[in-house]
Amino acid sequence: MATSTYLSNPVVIVNSVDLTNQCTAATLTRRFAELDATSFGDTSTKYTAGLQDNELTLTLYMSYAATETYATLSSLVGTTTTVRVQPAAPPDSATNPGLILTGAFLAELPVLNATMGELSTIDVVFRGGVFSADTTAP
Amino acid sequence: MYKIVSPRVGTPGEEFVPIGGVNLDALLAAGFIVKIEKPKTAKTKGDNITEDKESE
Repeated sequence: MATSTYLSNPVVIVNSVDLTNQCTAATLTRRFAELDATSFGDTSTKYTAGLQDNELTLTLYMSYAATETYATLSSLVGTTTTVRVQPAAPPDSATNPGLILTGAFLAELPVLNATMGELSTIDVVFRGGVFSADTTAP
Repeated sequence: MYKIVSPRVGTPGEEFVPIGGVNLDALLAAGFIVKIEKPKTAKTKGDNITEDKESE
């Protein structure tokens, strides 16, 4: 049984730019490469953690206006940056952690995704970087 | 030293203090922030003494 209700309304910050009001979906996955550590004598496969392999996927409304989606992302393609998502508006706390990827790489940016009569959206994926969770208010 | 221009980054006019890993070139290129010269500090007495010694 669910013990609490969570309405997803996260804060999304890309390279210090607040894109919350352009974003409709965010998925941050913390992942480690799984290294096979099975040896003689084992009766099942064993794994150990390898390198972190984190990923943040954002769905954003595409806007070419000044200081909006395209302006924020166009100079970031092929570079690393810091991205931050948070379940709700600050302050940071144990129940509202600021989830940060430092040094995440943006490999590609769909510069146009247009369909007649629809709002244009794009999916961008930041890969890699070091994960941290900030639980203390600044 | 950087100054905030866009409200998406913070309060316009305030100093922008970059956190680790932020791509400053991208922020400058898109006009979210601008680079400003650090205000010059007044010379202290110690500075003058040093200059005098160097000129001797």
